[in-house]
Amino acid sequence: MPQKKKEMEVPGPRRVADILADAGIRPTTVIVTQGRKLLTKDQRVEDGETIEILSVVSGG
Amino acid sequence: MKCKRCRKAAAAVDLPSHHSAFCPECFFVFFRRQVEEGIRKFRLFSPDDRVLVCVSGGKDSLVLWDILMELGYRTEGLHIDLGIEGYSARSREKTLAYASSRGKEPIVVDLHAEGVPIPEAAKRARKEECSVCGTVKRYFFNRVAAERGFTVVATGHNLDDEAARLLGNLLHWDADHLSRQHPLLPEAAEGLVRKVKPLWRVSEMETAAYGFLKGIDYVTEECPMSEDATSLIYKEALTLIEEEMPGTRRRFYQGFLDPKNRDVPGNPVADACREDASKDGKDIGEGGTPRKCNSCGAPTYAETCSFCRLKERVTKPQGRS
Ligand code: SF4
Ligand SMILES: [Zn+2]
Ligand SMILES: [Zn+2]
Repeated sequence: MPQKKKEMEVPGPRRVADILADAGIRPTTVIVTQGRKLLTKDQRVEDGETIEILSVVSGG
Repeated sequence: MKCKRCRKAAAAVDLPSHHSAFCPECFFVFFRRQVEEGIRKFRLFSPDDRVLVCVSGGKDSLVLWDILMELGYRTEGLHIDLGIEGYSARSREKTLAYASSRGKEPIVVDLHAEGVPIPEAAKRARKEECSVCGTVKRYFFNRVAAERGFTVVATGHNLDDEAARLLGNLLHWDADHLSRQHPLLPEAAEGLVRKVKPLWRVSEMETAAYGFLKGIDYVTEECPMSEDATSLIYKEALTLIEEEMPGTRRRFYQGFLDPKNRDVPGNPVADACREDASKDGKDIGEGGTPRKCNSCGAPTYAETCSFCRLKERVTKPQGRS
């Protein structure tokens, strides 16, 4: 099972969807945040910025 | 991407299953409507009801409490401290912190104090933790509701939870569980309160996004007992299908609830569902009127209710009975 919460520094400007695909994460199983902001999957993140990937799947 | 509703602000939440994307403000409107529609559709409760909201400290239950308060329902929170080392203390802390940020104080049932902390109780009763946990939770939902005059108990199960459970129940043709898998389980008898799942229309991702945008601080760790939960396998299977065919999960579960489908002749699921949607737990299932547990007075078909039997096994000196 993937970790619940993962902080990640982004290598190079990339779309959130591509970052998730590279990490092998299914896009509907997480929310991606940057500070107080929620990012959509088509949003671009710049080189060296940090994002947080939070799993939304619970065992219940 | 722009918000598909106001077409001004930038979108913050993708909703492929609704072919949409919303800015935070419009997403709040969407989410509120989904929950309101879920309550209205099956008349889960009315503004006159006193709603006991079961809050574990996780995202679903805190979001549930938050939205019900926002919609103006009369709610109180019930937190059951399961007595699981570390996890329970952190869950309780988040629940209390959230409640006090809303000027509330939840009712807390402490299973250590009740003599049945889940890990020890399971060990002594030689049962699975989650099965013991289910018995204990059901018992206290009913008892607290009866003692304090609540007319309905609400839990935070969302669309993903219910769809995964439906898939599991169908794969095993579990007619008994299928017959009780509805967002509304009416009061089965005096002391067996009505149970509802108001978040049945919203997905796990939507609930998490709502919690995040509302600044709700919840426990992100899983209950350590849940490690081999098969429900995760069903969730994963549905995710796979959902991502190829957005909206399928919703149609799957809503189709199950649709009365039209229940009238398909010869459908064993439909028959099971029609039979009795109001059975509640192992105690109730033989039909007829329950009697009172001779130890605690709770409704049961046995001499002693399953909670009191469990407690007896747990508190008695070791050895088989
Ligand atoms: S996973 Fe934890 S909280 Fe859930 S039923 Fe099992 S013991 Fe209870
Ligand atoms: Zn908008
Ligand atoms: Zn009893």
